[in-house]
Amino acid sequence: MGISRNSRRVAALAALALAVTACASEKATGGGGDAAASGDGIKVGPGVTADKISIGLMTDLTGPYASFGKSLTNAQQLYFEQINQAGGVCGRQLEAIVRDHGYDVQKAVSAYTEIGPKVVALAHVVGSPMVNAIKQRIEADQMLTIPQAWATNLLGSKPIQVTATTYDIDMINGVDFLAKEKGIKSGDKIGHLYFEGDYGESALNGSKYAAEKLGLELVEQKIKATDQDMTAQVTAFKKAGVKAVLVSVGPRQTASLVGVSLAGGMDVPFVGSNSAYSPQLLPTPAGPALLKDFYYITGGAPISSDLPVMKKLAEDYKAKYPGDAVDSGVSAGYSAAAIVVDALKKACESKDLTRAGVVNAHRGQNAWGQEYGGVMDFTVFDKPASLRSYVAKPDKDALGGSVVFKDAAVSDLAKEYQVPVG
Amino acid sequence: MSRSTILWSAALAAAALVIPFYLDASWLQDGLFAMAAAIGAIGLNLLTGATGQLSMGHAFFLAVGAFGYVYFASEPQEGGAHALGGLGLPTPLAAVLAVLLAGVAGGLFSPIAARLKGAYLGIATLALIFIGQFAMTNATPVTGGHNGRPVPPMELFGFVFADTPEAPLVIAGVPFGALERLWFLGAILLLGAGLFARGVLRGRPGRAMNTIRDHEIAAGVMGVPVSRYRAGVFVLSSMYGGLAGVLVALVFQQTVPDYFGLLLALAYLAMIIIGGLGSVAGAVIGAVFVSMLPRLLTRYSDALPLIVQPGQEGVGAAEAAQILYGLAVVVVVLFLPGGLLGLITQLRLRTGRPLPAAAPKHSLTPTPETRN
Amino acid sequence: MTTFLELLVNGISIGAVYALIALGFVIIFKATEVVNFAHASLLLVGGFIVAKTHESVGFWLALLLGLAGAAAVGALIEFAVIRRANVISHSILAIVTIGVDIVLTTELTRQIGTEVLALGDPWGSEVLHLGAVNIPLARIAALVTASLVIALFLLAFKYTNWGVAMRATAEDAETAALMGVRRGRVSMGAWAVAGALAALAALFMCIFPTPGLDRTVTATAMKAFPAAILGGLDSTTGALAGGLIIGVTESLVGGYQSELVFLGRGLGDVAPFLVMIIILLIRPAGLFGTRELARV
Repeated sequence: MGISRNSRRVAALAALALAVTACASEKATGGGGDAAASGDGIKVGPGVTADKISIGLMTDLTGPYASFGKSLTNAQQLYFEQINQAGGVCGRQLEAIVRDHGYDVQKAVSAYTEIGPKVVALAHVVGSPMVNAIKQRIEADQMLTIPQAWATNLLGSKPIQVTATTYDIDMINGVDFLAKEKGIKSGDKIGHLYFEGDYGESALNGSKYAAEKLGLELVEQKIKATDQDMTAQVTAFKKAGVKAVLVSVGPRQTASLVGVSLAGGMDVPFVGSNSAYSPQLLPTPAGPALLKDFYYITGGAPISSDLPVMKKLAEDYKAKYPGDAVDSGVSAGYSAAAIVVDALKKACESKDLTRAGVVNAHRGQNAWGQEYGGVMDFTVFDKPASLRSYVAKPDKDALGGSVVFKDAAVSDLAKEYQVPVG
Repeated sequence: MSRSTILWSAALAAAALVIPFYLDASWLQDGLFAMAAAIGAIGLNLLTGATGQLSMGHAFFLAVGAFGYVYFASEPQEGGAHALGGLGLPTPLAAVLAVLLAGVAGGLFSPIAARLKGAYLGIATLALIFIGQFAMTNATPVTGGHNGRPVPPMELFGFVFADTPEAPLVIAGVPFGALERLWFLGAILLLGAGLFARGVLRGRPGRAMNTIRDHEIAAGVMGVPVSRYRAGVFVLSSMYGGLAGVLVALVFQQTVPDYFGLLLALAYLAMIIIGGLGSVAGAVIGAVFVSMLPRLLTRYSDALPLIVQPGQEGVGAAEAAQILYGLAVVVVVLFLPGGLLGLITQLRLRTGRPLPAAAPKHSLTPTPETRN
Repeated sequence: MTTFLELLVNGISIGAVYALIALGFVIIFKATEVVNFAHASLLLVGGFIVAKTHESVGFWLALLLGLAGAAAVGALIEFAVIRRANVISHSILAIVTIGVDIVLTTELTRQIGTEVLALGDPWGSEVLHLGAVNIPLARIAALVTASLVIALFLLAFKYTNWGVAMRATAEDAETAALMGVRRGRVSMGAWAVAGALAALAALFMCIFPTPGLDRTVTATAMKAFPAAILGGLDSTTGALAGGLIIGVTESLVGGYQSELVFLGRGLGDVAPFLVMIIILLIRPAGLFGTRELARV
């Protein structure tokens, strides 16, 4: 009996070894194959076959940015579908490979290891901690990547394309807006409520610079993403006597800040980063306060703007995803997908669909995106692709919950600003 | 050592040797995370499982190990506000120092660890997580702040554990990148960590630890230096955490403070409960279960009922994994007092029941290590 | 001075809400010797029910439903899990509650999804002006309600049969059982009461000045852990004191952040835990906790 048990085990082991050998060849050959020419004379690499181009989406569908991530994913899948209906790119159909990292760095790293070898580009990666965690590998793989985060430290990397403005540029343009239209002048104090981490700290760089240039005194309040109640921060701002407040936190904290301030008699203008606002807040009790004197600065056009491409997107999106809320992720995701697809088209023209070929094609464009409401220069990567920001204002009736308050413009302050890279 | 144990060990060793040649990088990476988790879980099992000291701060010691290694091994970088410190030590030395540093951190906490018990100790260790997060994001020159910093690859006797595109290493037709190389390092570290812990558990200290867990006062009466043991186990378990942290850092190639948060600490507790309290094998089984579950569910989400693809309405793979491991904790405590390890032992006992009559030599009564 | 007063009053009112949560911990701990890490999910259950029902049945009825729902879930956890778990150490029961918490929180956050749910409370964003000090009305309501509930609770604890049974069980479970106290009923009752308290706390955590219920509420509940511990896990007075200490500390440290900048930014979150560690170093069983004495 004992012997038969053992022999059974040995047999099982042998079977395992056999099963394993069956796929041995796969790995042994799969390691190479970096660039090969396909039938149509186009050089292809990972993620591209004779009839298919795979694009990765590393998104957050279960974590704190789930609503944003869902809009991004929906919008990009919509874009790819439309391209496919029109015949695809380079005679190939586009396929999105979606992975949800739930805003968890380890899951993002695992997801990259899993889908990295299978895709030619990443049409969006949510979260700057996640992008930072895989940055070295993105660079080694020459993987064109569009982060959905606008921190300054994401600049300076050839394959990583931060869209439009960074948070610091937005804040400089925001301070300029306050000075020109809200009567903030030299000697005044302004507050800045910001998150710890890249997002808040990038924004703070901008506000510090602008405050110094205009002779304003900046009152800083740093919070964490888990802080919910901004009463203590409002008290501190009030004590300092600020005339306006810059906001680089999450939508919930924005709502609390604006609500508490107005209720407590601190009736000042608020200017937020693009990630500080979400239309989901309007039906909550903080809604009226947000509608009063809150603005947010964004490099990408809101979906309610008059641009024809946005009008069409709004219709198509509502037709395809009738039940889903529309927020800033829709337009951001759609235009990011367009950036990737245009890079693929350019790469196709030069008959090089390898990852490096796609990045080079992408970096050859110096005036992309007129129809998306802001020209971006992709040829430099140690500076933001654009310095122009919109000023947007919450609006209950508008699609996406906001309207353009002031058209995209570059402030003089932003022109002189030296972007700290790295 | 019984014959079946030898067979099992041989099979495991063979599998560990063969796997990197066949599985692709993403599976290797998950396997490496599981190995790191196993090392950390063994440490926690010494503390919580064998000695009965609840610790919810294990993730903190992983962080100390990870950032310690990075700091000791990195060359200092100039750059104004973004300057990063570092000692530029040889990487193996940096790893050893990082593990020792984690031990020192555990030692510094021992005035608290030795005085508090049960829930009080649990929540006091919870404080470590929050204090650790605060320190990590504020000590930018050491940790790189919120973004963390890149991890220098380990280099042993001129052999680099990293991708080396300029001088690719190919063994039997399989290109050996960072993950394939690290796989063997991880396996050896896990083996060493496991054997050492087994030695501790089976020897005099292990019996003393179990006595403290079962009845602290009785242990004291019997002459066990209770406070010293408790502090000592805390330090040892912190060093295991530190080692796991070093391995995690090497696999990540970038350390990020966010990772070492509350969820990680809770996951470690789940591991030892699910696997089986107080034993090395239990910790390893639990670690593999908790680390691989989300991956397996994501990988096979299209084939599994009730789980939807990303972006659709319903229970996603990540949520399903969360719910399953939460449920596993509850189910194990309610129905499987020995954890998955206990279940395996029971199954072996059941299938082996007719054996003693036929071949008494191969009787499969539980060995001491399965009892522990 | 105005700033200080505002911060203080605000801290006390948040502290009162923490005290409600901490009281729940203490009750459960006294009755079953379990540290309930699933408390955060009980908050979520209560808040979720209120948020989902207030539009159809009105706020007050929704609140009742929320209280009842969270109490039922609490009792269910006790009945289905805690009572049945057969373990040597209470630390392991604590870990089981972590498992319960993970399951409940994951499912509820999935249900809440990406929305921020309003709870439909009657206080809105109104603010009370007391001289130069401005306090949100919702905070005053929190303070008043929490004080009333806690006072009521302490009285019930002292004078009702339920309170006596519970204290007897906490003192010596076996003797209490011999004297005719039904342990099952006592511990189930404790979990239900803790659930209701959590739902009440959830209400005040999710209304103005915070925008509404969403998945992050559980993180706020974490702060009640140090509150319960530093007061002493088996002391109801301790829960009250602990809640207030944590609330005031957090509020003051956050409000005077710019003066404390040399200690690093984001101190408000760590301060409760630092205070807890210091207190535990001096008094290992918390401020009002019973020091464990063992006779051999």
